[in-house]
Amino acid sequence: MELLPDEIKAAMQGVIPSHVVTCAADGTPNASAISQVYYVDGDHVALSHQFFNKTKRNLAENPRAAVWLIHPKTFETWDLELEFDHAETSGPIFEQMDMQIEAIASLVGMKGVFKLKAADIFRVVSVTKTSGERISR
Amino acid sequence: MIPDRVVEMLHGPSYLQIGTRDADLRPAHTFAVGALVHEDRETVTVFVPTARAQRILADLESNGRVALGIAQVSHEAYQLKGRYLSTRPTDASDLARQEAYRKTLLEDALGIGYPEEIARPLTQGFAYTPGTAITFRAEEVFLQTPGPGAGTPLV
Repeated sequence: MELLPDEIKAAMQGVIPSHVVTCAADGTPNASAISQVYYVDGDHVALSHQFFNKTKRNLAENPRAAVWLIHPKTFETWDLELEFDHAETSGPIFEQMDMQIEAIASLVGMKGVFKLKAADIFRVVSVTKTSGERISR
Repeated sequence: MIPDRVVEMLHGPSYLQIGTRDADLRPAHTFAVGALVHEDRETVTVFVPTARAQRILADLESNGRVALGIAQVSHEAYQLKGRYLSTRPTDASDLARQEAYRKTLLEDALGIGYPEEIARPLTQGFAYTPGTAITFRAEEVFLQTPGPGAGTPLV
C-alpha cells in the first residue's frame, strides 16, 4: 500500500513553502525552508537541491529528514519522515522540477537565485496528517 | 550575541521553524508562534503550540540540541543553533506577545499583497494556545537567505 495519500499532492505544488529538518553526524539539527517537495510516486518524493547548503551536507552524513507540508487551500498539514535515496541531475523528474522551480522563482522574485542543481529523491518512511494544529478564524 | 536584525526578525512578522533530533539522529520539526529574545541577547524563548510540542520536548530533554529557522516572506532568513535550557506553559504575558506577533504577521501578509483567503488562514489559523514556552541559549547564528551567502556564520 502506498504511503502518500492523493490529498497530499496539492501540498506539493510549491504554493506555500515546505520546511525540512535534517541532522549532521555530530547531532546538530538544521531547519530550512524548501521551495518544493515534488511527488514522485506513492512512496517517494523529491526535494529541490538548489545550493550546496547545510541540508545537503547533512544528508551526505545522515540520510534522514523530517518535512512539514501545508495544503494551500485547506491549510491542513502533514509530517513526512524521509530517507535520502539518490540524486538525479537529468531525466523526467529533474526536468519537471526544474521547470517548476523556474516558475516559482519568477513568481516570488527569485529568478536567477533559485536554480535546480539536482532532484534529491527520498523514500517516504512515514506520513502523518497532523491534528490539533488548526483553529478556525 | 544575536545581531540586531535577527532580534528584530525574531520579534517581527517572521515564520519560525524549530528543528530537533532524537538519540538515533532522526530529525523532527515544529513551528513556533512568537518568540522573545532576552536581555542578554543570547537566550531566546519560543512559543510552541502544546499540541505539537511533545516530540521536540522529548528530544530536547534527552540531548538539548535545537535549531530555529527565522524567515520573512521576502526570503530574508537566519538560523539560530543552540542548547535547550527550560520549558514551562505559556502565561498571560506570553499570550499577549503571541497575539501581537500574529497581528503583525497578518498585517505583513496583507501588506505585501496576499489575498485575504490565504493571508488569514496562513497567519491566524495555526493553534497557539495552549502553548509551551521553550527557552534555549543561542550559540551560533547563520545567514540563511537563499543565495551563495546562505550558511555564512554571523556569530
